[in-house]
Amino acid sequence: MLQSLTGLALALFMWLHMGFVSAILISEDVAWAVARFFEGYFFLPRPQAWLVSSFVAVISLLFALHALLALRKFPADWRQYRIAATHGSRLRHGDTVLWFVQVATGFAMFFLAPVHLYAMFMHPDLIGPYASADRVWTGGFWPLYLALLFAVEVHGSVGLYRLAVKWGWFEGGDARASRRRLKIAMWGLIAFLLTLGLTTLMAEIRMGVEHAPRAGERYVPTWQRGVTAAEEAR
Amino acid sequence: MSRRLKISVFRHNPRDPQSVPRLVDYELDEQPGMTLFIALNAIRDTQAPDLNFDFVCRAGVCGACAMVVDGRPGLACRTLTNTLPDAFSLYPLPVFRLVADLSVDTGRWMRELAERLQTWVHLEAEPELDRLEARMEPALAEGVYELDRCIECGCCIAACATAQMREGFVGAVGLNKIARFRLDPADTRADADFYELIGSDEGIFGCMSLLACNDLCPKELPLQTQLAWLRRKMAGQGIRWLRRR
Amino acid sequence: MRIEYTDVLVVGGGLAGLRTAVGAARRGLRVEVLSLVPAKRSHSVAAQGGMQASLGNAFKGMGDNEDVHFGDTVRGSDWGCDQLVARMFAHMAPKAVRELAAWGVPWNRVQRGAHEVVINGERVTLTERDEAHGLITARDFGGTRKWRTCYTADGTGHTMLYALGDRTVAEGVPVRDRSEAMALIHDDGRCQGAVVRDLESGELYAILAAATVIATGGFGRIWGISTNALINEGMGAAIALETGVARLANMEAVQFHPTAIVPAGILVTEGCRGDGGLLRDADGHRFMPDYEPEKAELASRDVVSRRMAEHMRRGKGVKSAVGEHLWLDITVLGAAHIDRKLREVKDICRHFLGIDPAREWIPVRPTQHYSMGGIRTDHRGESRSLRGLFAVGEAACWDLHGFNRLGGNSLAETVVAGMLVGEYVADFVESQAGALEFSPGLAREFVGRERAALESIAARPAPAPGGDSAASLRREMEATMTEHVGLFRNESGLRSAVARLADLQARARRIGIASRHLDANPELVAAYRLPRMLALALCAAQGALERRESRGAHAREDYPARNDRDWLRRTLAWWPTGGATPVLEYEPITVENMELPPGFRGYGTRNIVEHPATALREAEVEAIRARLEGEGRARLQAALLDFRGCLPERYRGDNDRLADIEEGAQR
Repeated sequence: MLQSLTGLALALFMWLHMGFVSAILISEDVAWAVARFFEGYFFLPRPQAWLVSSFVAVISLLFALHALLALRKFPADWRQYRIAATHGSRLRHGDTVLWFVQVATGFAMFFLAPVHLYAMFMHPDLIGPYASADRVWTGGFWPLYLALLFAVEVHGSVGLYRLAVKWGWFEGGDARASRRRLKIAMWGLIAFLLTLGLTTLMAEIRMGVEHAPRAGERYVPTWQRGVTAAEEAR
Repeated sequence: MSRRLKISVFRHNPRDPQSVPRLVDYELDEQPGMTLFIALNAIRDTQAPDLNFDFVCRAGVCGACAMVVDGRPGLACRTLTNTLPDAFSLYPLPVFRLVADLSVDTGRWMRELAERLQTWVHLEAEPELDRLEARMEPALAEGVYELDRCIECGCCIAACATAQMREGFVGAVGLNKIARFRLDPADTRADADFYELIGSDEGIFGCMSLLACNDLCPKELPLQTQLAWLRRKMAGQGIRWLRRR
Repeated sequence: MRIEYTDVLVVGGGLAGLRTAVGAARRGLRVEVLSLVPAKRSHSVAAQGGMQASLGNAFKGMGDNEDVHFGDTVRGSDWGCDQLVARMFAHMAPKAVRELAAWGVPWNRVQRGAHEVVINGERVTLTERDEAHGLITARDFGGTRKWRTCYTADGTGHTMLYALGDRTVAEGVPVRDRSEAMALIHDDGRCQGAVVRDLESGELYAILAAATVIATGGFGRIWGISTNALINEGMGAAIALETGVARLANMEAVQFHPTAIVPAGILVTEGCRGDGGLLRDADGHRFMPDYEPEKAELASRDVVSRRMAEHMRRGKGVKSAVGEHLWLDITVLGAAHIDRKLREVKDICRHFLGIDPAREWIPVRPTQHYSMGGIRTDHRGESRSLRGLFAVGEAACWDLHGFNRLGGNSLAETVVAGMLVGEYVADFVESQAGALEFSPGLAREFVGRERAALESIAARPAPAPGGDSAASLRREMEATMTEHVGLFRNESGLRSAVARLADLQARARRIGIASRHLDANPELVAAYRLPRMLALALCAAQGALERRESRGAHAREDYPARNDRDWLRRTLAWWPTGGATPVLEYEPITVENMELPPGFRGYGTRNIVEHPATALREAEVEAIRARLEGEGRARLQAALLDFRGCLPERYRGDNDRLADIEEGAQR
């Protein structure tokens, strides 16, 4: 049950995460504002980057817990893996295949996610229009993020579908029909999130390429630019 | 024009030290309306007189003839060959102990399951046979019957990745039985009692909801619904139990 | 060599065997059950429509009681049954249903208020009583005057067998599946157990038991097409016959069910017609009312089957690539009813015919279904000639069914007889008569004999291509039985059948096998069972040849009358050791103590040669009725045929019914 709960929390968090990250598609200012918001910029006397760090720590903990619990269900040894793989390939059964997808994407995230999480934990202040774009391109993170994007969105969406059938959510009177609908929703969600994610990543890469000569420079929101210039002039 | 079928049948006699597990191909002409029951008997009559397989009712109600047909568990007696390709394989059900060839020992497995999960009505007192029977809502009786329709064929176990990987997992057949007795008003057991039986990784919490049991159940039992329902009830019971501690 | 000891050995894990085993175990005895297959796969599981018990809860069952059930059963049997047994049975059936309800059978229940049903082809609204709401309901079946058949949709045998199977586990009664009883160990008229073969390892061993109970079901598989499961090869009756001591009775009394699907021979329940389904011919015409205006499709099974065959002989059958048939039309019941109450039928139609019975008619024809005959027992279920041997259920001729069994009475018989015989067996084992000094030497002798027989089969040359094999001889046996020992019989056909079967019997004793190993080997099994099946076939054919009358399901074209004067008696068959054919004897059915003297069943035209004692007994019964008028049905009944003393004490109580309770309350 704890596995379900952590999974649900992580999946929902990833929705929000996607929302925040894709803010860059609206404008750089919005992205900046979102990033600063979590540092308390708008309601604390001074922004506190450690707020983000602690949040990252919480997510990391959730992630570790979820991974640990999920490991119980993984094939424990080569023999079990062989049995499961043969079974899965012979059976030609959709939901069984989906579980293999979960195992594969989960396994991938086991290695990929910690890199990203560690970076965020150490440098929470490096989230922002330029800083992120520099990390993606100049910092060479884009292959990691591309892989993570696929792993996370597929794993999360499939996971949500599986949670729904596992606990009987949205079942209604006809379990067969609702499961069909849930599956359509799952595929829709995967398509939507991947499209959004890919567009965002492309945008970041494009920005990263453009910004590469000035890598390291921090973004200043447009409405502060005058102020800053004035301060400098003074 | 009738097809020539090539059926690759798993053959092995575990009591014979010379025997090695192998696939043996048998060919025969498909007849209109041919089922695997007819096909296998034709093979036995003319090609392999000591080929072991189990048919009892040959009408899809006794559950004896479950085997893995072209990769998927199902009842052989009611599988029409015209739903299968020209060449396909037949394997015995996995998980269960092999008797020989396509025959497996589901009897002992199911008996042990019944003993372990205590799948019988636990009565408060001996029924009084001369008195009017206890009343039951008609819809409830039909609901119990719905779950009572399991034929213990073993398809859900053979279809389940968990059951294959982990010995001791009770599978959909076991969990459905618990759901059935939980629904039965005559059974005096409470959720706490059922939790003792299935509130573990060998029970409901071991299920990964791959739902192959639900999708391949020959009786089309509502296993998806029952598993989800049991999971909620048992999780609730688990939380109550934690709180009391 | 392994020898085991137990109090009670039950051979057969179907409803009758399990209920007997549970009963004996509850009396504190050690019980072992042998079964060819896992107990829950026994043929009982395939029974669909229901079990008769006169609860009288449903609107159309009001006024029902043991007397009505008894009368229907006796008439249905064409007065061939043992009326004492029928009385015990009618009294026990409500108790059996109620016990099973407590053990988990989810019987369909009465729903208060109006609901629509189909009766005689027309939609009718029935209103169920408020006070009956939630009690066990019933459906209509053939040959009954009340709606008396209790059911769980059309999976009644399934729910009953599973409830009993679960109870067997609860009571800790061990069941050895994949085990076959190969011979009964006996000496000096006393049965001492059985030689057992483990069908997996091939091991032969002995179980010595104070009482041995045969509950192996019928022998329908000696016919080519049968509704029976493949395991119904009559091996229990066959090994009893091989003792040369035990008697089989009425082996010619074989029921053909009107509605098995064509060509697979799988049963669709009488409940289809009970719920309002109709029989139609090639023209789509509903023909049964032409023959039986009153009961139409719901005449007794033997009658409906014969009428169908007659109608097909008149050229009204549907000719198809897989043989001639008629139609069963349940489209009139509607999809909703079929989905709830006839779902197994729907499944069978879908998988084996590829049709939806809510929209299309089902191709059916009469098919071998039930063996009224079997191991002859007394009312306690014990063989009269071999002490310590009991038989129960379809394997027995307890004689509840006489020459035709009513639909719904076989499921009822299995559990009722199981409840009773379980007690009688326990009484026997606990009594002086049951005391037995086990004889291991005897066991060794019997096991040795079986081993030698198997080894000699394995030593014979393998069947030559095109030569005799178990499979080929079996097909000949099946064809012979289907052709000559079927629905209609006659002298010349039966004579040729007997000659043919005797020839097959001789050849069957010489067949060898290609695969010579003695463990799990279906070829070996077929080889040793075939001569036994042929022995049963010979008993049936010879019994049918000698019985020169028509009674119930036994219809002789050359002797169409029911001849009470000469044939109001049971055929007893036994097989002298080393003999080539069975020997027939006869046991009179005495009119003098009948509660219901022989009469006309009400089908077709009256064609009876009266028994001289019938008129006398009728007058006696009338006199008793007149004398006890107004004293209540229990007093009257006891004066006509006192059965209660024959029942185990715990089962002697009156059955409560809603009507009686209400009457009591009004008083």
